[in-house]
Amino acid sequence: MEERALKEALHQAGYVAEGGLVTTLWFAQTLERPVLLEGDAGVGKTAVAAALSHALGRRLIRLQCYEGLDLQQAVYEWNYGRQLLAIRLHEQGGSSMSERDLFSQDYLLERPLLAAISSAEPCVLLIDEIDRADEAFEAFLLEALADYQITIPEIGTIRARHRPLVVLTSNATRELSDALRRRCLYHYLDYPDSEREIAIVKSTLPEAESRLVEEAVAFVQRLRKEDLQKTPGIAETLDWIRALHQLKLKALPEDPESILRTLSCLLKTRDDRFQLTAEQVRRIAEGPRAGVAVSSA
Amino acid sequence: MEARPLQAIAGFAAYLRECGLAVGVADQRVMVQAALALPPAEYRRLEAGWRGIVCHDAPGWRRYPELFRAYWFPGRVTGQARVSGHARPRRDLRQAVESLHRSMAVDAERSTTAGDAQVSGEQPGESAADAQRAQGGASRTEALEQRDFAQWLPQDLGRLERIVEAIAQRMRRRLLRRQRLAANGRRLDVRRTLRASLKTGGVPFAPAWLARRRERPRVFVLVDVSRSMETYAQLFLRVARAFVGVLDARVFVFHTRLAEVTQLLERDSGRVQEKVNAVTAGFGGGTRIAASLKDFLDLHAGRAVSRSSRVLILSDGFDSDPEHELALGLERIKRRGARIYWLHPTIQRPQATAVTRAAGLVDAFAPVYNLDSLARVGMLVE
Repeated sequence: MEERALKEALHQAGYVAEGGLVTTLWFAQTLERPVLLEGDAGVGKTAVAAALSHALGRRLIRLQCYEGLDLQQAVYEWNYGRQLLAIRLHEQGGSSMSERDLFSQDYLLERPLLAAISSAEPCVLLIDEIDRADEAFEAFLLEALADYQITIPEIGTIRARHRPLVVLTSNATRELSDALRRRCLYHYLDYPDSEREIAIVKSTLPEAESRLVEEAVAFVQRLRKEDLQKTPGIAETLDWIRALHQLKLKALPEDPESILRTLSCLLKTRDDRFQLTAEQVRRIAEGPRAGVAVSSA
Repeated sequence: MEARPLQAIAGFAAYLRECGLAVGVADQRVMVQAALALPPAEYRRLEAGWRGIVCHDAPGWRRYPELFRAYWFPGRVTGQARVSGHARPRRDLRQAVESLHRSMAVDAERSTTAGDAQVSGEQPGESAADAQRAQGGASRTEALEQRDFAQWLPQDLGRLERIVEAIAQRMRRRLLRRQRLAANGRRLDVRRTLRASLKTGGVPFAPAWLARRRERPRVFVLVDVSRSMETYAQLFLRVARAFVGVLDARVFVFHTRLAEVTQLLERDSGRVQEKVNAVTAGFGGGTRIAASLKDFLDLHAGRAVSRSSRVLILSDGFDSDPEHELALGLERIKRRGARIYWLHPTIQRPQATAVTRAAGLVDAFAPVYNLDSLARVGMLVE
C-alpha cells in the first residue's frame, strides 16, 4: 500500500495521523521492522495499532504487558487440563496415548506472540505498554522480534509464515533497553496540535457543533499548558466534547462555573481538580472566545 | 545506488553520532534501505522516515529536525546549528564533549535571547541592561573563553565511593505494598501454585512464592557547572560519578541550559578525572537554575521522577532567572512526590533570593566542601 493510500485508509479507520507517523508506519510495513511508539498516556498510541489493522485489513492481536508477565501468558502454554482429560479418556477406553500425541498442537494454547507468529494471514501485533513488563520479558522479545520464530521444545521451531506488523507502545515509565529500541523504528507521539485535534474530534463526533468543537479544543490545548498531574489526552477531549454535545451546547458556556462542572471528563486527579479554580477556567476559556469574537466581528 | 549518496548517508549518520545520537551500522543500513525504498528526491519523506530509524528516545526525537536541516540544508539554518562540513564519527571523549559543549552553547544562545525577552516582559520598569545584571556573581551571559580549572585530585577515591555508598544506604529502599514473585519469598502465591500444579496432575511440586517488592530510589544529580561554581564543579562531578557507580544515578550538568552526562561518567576507569575535567572545562557562564529544572522535567526526566525519586541539586544557588521561577520548578518536582536535596559548596545555606523563597520546597540543605562535609550529608538524606 502506498503512503498516501495508507494515510487515507487510516483516516477511514478513524485515525487522523500526521505525515511523519504515516511515513514511519509505511517504512515499518515496507522494511518489515517493528515500530516503537512512545508518548504520554492518552495521545493515541494504542489507537494507531487498531487503526492500522483496520486500514490494512489485518487481524489485530494484542498483548497487554504488565509486571510479572511471563512466557506462559505471552507465548504459549500447554492445556494441562485437556491433556489430563485425554489421558483419563484413553485409560477408560483401554487405549494408550503416546507422549507425542500429548504434546501436539491440539493441546497447545496459543498466547498472543505465538498466535501472531503462526498466523496463516498477515496480522498486526500490538505489544501494549512494554515498559510495564519485566526486563527478562523484554530480552525474550528481542529474540522473537529478531528472527520472528519461537521454539517450543516439544514441537520444534515455529517460523512466521507472514511477518506480523509489530507495534510496541511505551509510556516511558521505565527506560527500555537500547537493544530493543534499536530493533524498532521509533516514533514519539505528542499531543496533537489544534488543527489535528479538531480534525480528530470532527471525524469521531461529526454531529457536534463546529463552534463547540473549536472552542473546546482550544480550551484543552490551553489547559495542557497548565502544570497538571495528568494532562488530558485525546480520549479525554472526545469524552468532554461528547458530554458537552449531550448537554445540547453549541458553544462553550460563558459561565466558568458551568465549564468547571463538566471538567470531570478532562481532569482525572483530585489535585488537578482542586487546583483549577473558576478564575483559572475563565482565563483559559477567554482566549478562544476572544478569537471567535474577533473573527465574527 | 551510487557511491556519493551512500557517502552522504554515511556522513549524515556520522554527524548524528557526533551530535550524540546513537546511530549504529545496522541503523545506517536501514537508512540506505529506506532511501532505496523511496525516491531520494522526496527528501521530506526521507526526513520523517529516517527520524524513526535514527532516533531511539524522546530527546533525540526532538533534536532530529534541526540536525537534519543543519546537515542537508545548512544554508537554511539561521545561526543555530553549526556544521563543519567534515562530519566524522565520534572517536574519542574529546569529540563527544566538544559536541556536548557545542549543543549546550547553541541552546544557551537561544535560551539567553528568549530569557531576556521574558524578563524584560515581566519587569517592564527595568531596562535590558538591568535584566542582564548579575545576581551574586551569576550572569545570563556565556563565558567566551575557556578557563583553566585547578586540578582536583582526591587522595583517596575509594573513600569518596564509600561515603556515597553510606548515603545510598540511608536512601533506604522503599517497601512497596505490591508483592512480586521471588524464589526466596515467604508468602505462598496460591493462584500461581495451583495453576502450576496442573502440570503435575495437581501435585504442587513447584510452589510459587511472593516477596515484598523493594525498589531503590531513583537518583538524579544536577550539577551546576557555571562560572560561580568553577572551583567546586569538579569535586561535585566526582561526587555525582560516585552516585552513578553506586546507585545508577542519572547526572546532568547545567549552566544556562541542561545536558545529561551520565554516559560519560558510567564507566569507572583511570580516565574519570579526564572526563570530569572535560565536562567542566569550557563552561563557566551564567546560571539559569529555573530554566534548567524546566528542561530537566520537560525534556529528560519527565515521568521518571516519582515518589521514590531523589533529586540532588549541587549548586551555590545563584540564579539569574526571575526569582519566583526557581520555586515553581522545585514545586513541580515536589508535586511528583520526589525529595529534593540541595548540596552547596558554601558553609552557609545559599542566600540568593530565589533559593530563600524556595527553601520550603527543599527537604534538606547540606554544605559540601570536602569529603568530611560530604560524609555528614548521609545524616540528612533519606
